Amino acid sequence: MKEQEKKPNSFRGASKYVLDEELAKIVNISIALEMPLLLKGEPGTGKTMLAYAIAESLDLPLIILNVKSSMKLVEALYQYDTLTRLNDSRFGDSKRNVSDIEAYIRMGKIGQSFVADAKTVLLIDEIDKADTDFQDDMLDVLDQMSFDIIEIDKTVKAINRPVVVITSNAKKDLSDPFLGRCNFHHIAFPEPEMMRKIVEVHFPKLSDEMATACLQTFYRLRDIGGIEKKPATRELINWIRALKSDPDFRPAVLQRGEVPYLGVLYKKSADLGLAAKAIARLKR
Amino acid sequence: MFVQFFYTLRDRGVPVTPTSFLRLQRALSLGLVTSLDDFYTVARSLLVKSERYFDLYDQVFLHHFRGVELKDPETHELTDIAKALLAEWLKDPAGVAAAFGIDEKKLKKMSPEELIQYFLDRMKEQTEAHHGGNRWIGTRGTSPVGHSGTHPEGMRVGGVSRNKSAIKVAMDRRYRDYSQDGPLTQAQMGEALKRLRRMVPAGPKDLVNVDKTIRETLRNAGEIEIVFDRRLTDRLKVILMIDNGGWSMEPYVELVQTLFSYARSQFKDLRTYYFHNSVYDVVWQDAQRYYRPERLDDLSLRDPETRLIVLGDASMSPYELMYAGGAIDYTQRSTRPSIDRLKFLASRFRHAVWLNPSPLWEWDRVRTIGIVRQVFPMYELTLDGLEGAVRRLVAKN
Repeated sequence: MKEQEKKPNSFRGASKYVLDEELAKIVNISIALEMPLLLKGEPGTGKTMLAYAIAESLDLPLIILNVKSSMKLVEALYQYDTLTRLNDSRFGDSKRNVSDIEAYIRMGKIGQSFVADAKTVLLIDEIDKADTDFQDDMLDVLDQMSFDIIEIDKTVKAINRPVVVITSNAKKDLSDPFLGRCNFHHIAFPEPEMMRKIVEVHFPKLSDEMATACLQTFYRLRDIGGIEKKPATRELINWIRALKSDPDFRPAVLQRGEVPYLGVLYKKSADLGLAAKAIARLKR
Repeated sequence: MFVQFFYTLRDRGVPVTPTSFLRLQRALSLGLVTSLDDFYTVARSLLVKSERYFDLYDQVFLHHFRGVELKDPETHELTDIAKALLAEWLKDPAGVAAAFGIDEKKLKKMSPEELIQYFLDRMKEQTEAHHGGNRWIGTRGTSPVGHSGTHPEGMRVGGVSRNKSAIKVAMDRRYRDYSQDGPLTQAQMGEALKRLRRMVPAGPKDLVNVDKTIRETLRNAGEIEIVFDRRLTDRLKVILMIDNGGWSMEPYVELVQTLFSYARSQFKDLRTYYFHNSVYDVVWQDAQRYYRPERLDDLSLRDPETRLIVLGDASMSPYELMYAGGAIDYTQRSTRPSIDRLKFLASRFRHAVWLNPSPLWEWDRVRTIGIVRQVFPMYELTLDGLEGAVRRLVAKN
């Protein structure tokens, strides 16, 4: 805690997040250059978790904007609550001043991060869901660190520049102007040693035998071809949790090539079928 | 030195922009980069914007920095980059100004010659300011975010330290797998096709229409009258015609199945028909092309706003396309050549595209593809192609 007070702007990893050295450098450079950090990578590589970890380690509040495909940029900035105003003007029993439109402006997630008293971490999750116009316009806002509220002709300027983390799942690249303004990193799927650390963070009391057996099986399962949604970190953690809660389970079962609770690892029925077949083949 | 690195990246096909190069200069001048290892990571995150180019970056980095002594940039190299910056400035003034960390308006007052001089001066300044004049990367740097080992308060890293130099890391070529385009998956198709929607009101009235509510409230002398509307939902009509006959479509079966399974789950009003090589008087609703034929003339009576997507390789003998009675199936001897039927379809459904699973470079070699392309706008069955097709399908005219 003392260290953090001294250097509030340097990211050190958080209690439940295992940080790659390379990624730590990139996070720090993005904060220093005040550029949004765009993270890509397979689902389950911890893109979203990273934003939580940054917020936790820098001790800043985290604001999350979950992007939806139908979303308009203005929704992320602010909302003009016309209905409440209409209601107030009719019944007049609220403390708000009806002739003051500003009292009915509510900040959206980006707006909140701008007007917050303290510096915040702004996570814009799954940007690829929105269309390109949304993406480019949003980057304009983040570039200028200000936007206009048309209804009251007022410009909202960021009091504190938020640390912006953007995640994307898409294989396809985002537009060039968008990429040009972001710092980019692709999170590769963790290698076994790294995964071991991650597992240890989540299950500190896991026996060595159990951890080794689980990881071996897990990486073997990831090699099965033709799977649409490969099991990722989240599935592995849940799977180990399931195994642990089973009193009859022994790690030796895995070494024999059997895989209990396969449904925890594979979410799609086609994948589950394929995996079950592959496992049966391997056992023979 | 770095200018050369920048141009090598560019020459090898990594799309790097002068603005991003400038940002790199800023990062260097801020003292954030204290070693070649740092440089490897930082330069990559600033210059390279897609994991597809990470492998290429590794190669160029290796080529460039293995056993290389770092030295000053030559002035003529700087002039090159200043000129490139000028071009970038014209495209994106705000971005360049931000990269230099100065006011856009100040730059706007300058003539092009002055700008080039200004860029040059600033870059020279940055190269000399922080590194004793002879190194772009300071070797004795004391960065506030220095990495473990070199700085007493450096970042604590919980993960596995690679304990390798950047050169070694680059030699690993960890990103080799990412350098090719992955196969199309259902999820990716979903992303591409998602834009293909036509929103119309449907379902229960549970959405407040603010404008109408205000108008009705006024008419009601201020007594609030809330007006509800139906939500917008997708009611796009789509006809999908799939060529499922013959060996020429065989290699693409899986791709087509993916598209088909996605389309079925996505569009409420989707009709699928099958044909063999080209369309004649009838198409079939069943994949065996036997039990449930539908006459093209009946089909054409459907809503002309329906989107028509034809999926086939359009590769056949020209005879099958151009002559009456050219159909490969004897049951289908038509009196009209197929090309006329295609033109008929295209005239009825103005929103129509042809998706071709065979790769673009093959198209010029097949004569019938060229002919069909004159009737239907044709797109490759890839992510880019799908996106183009969707743009075409949602266009107003």
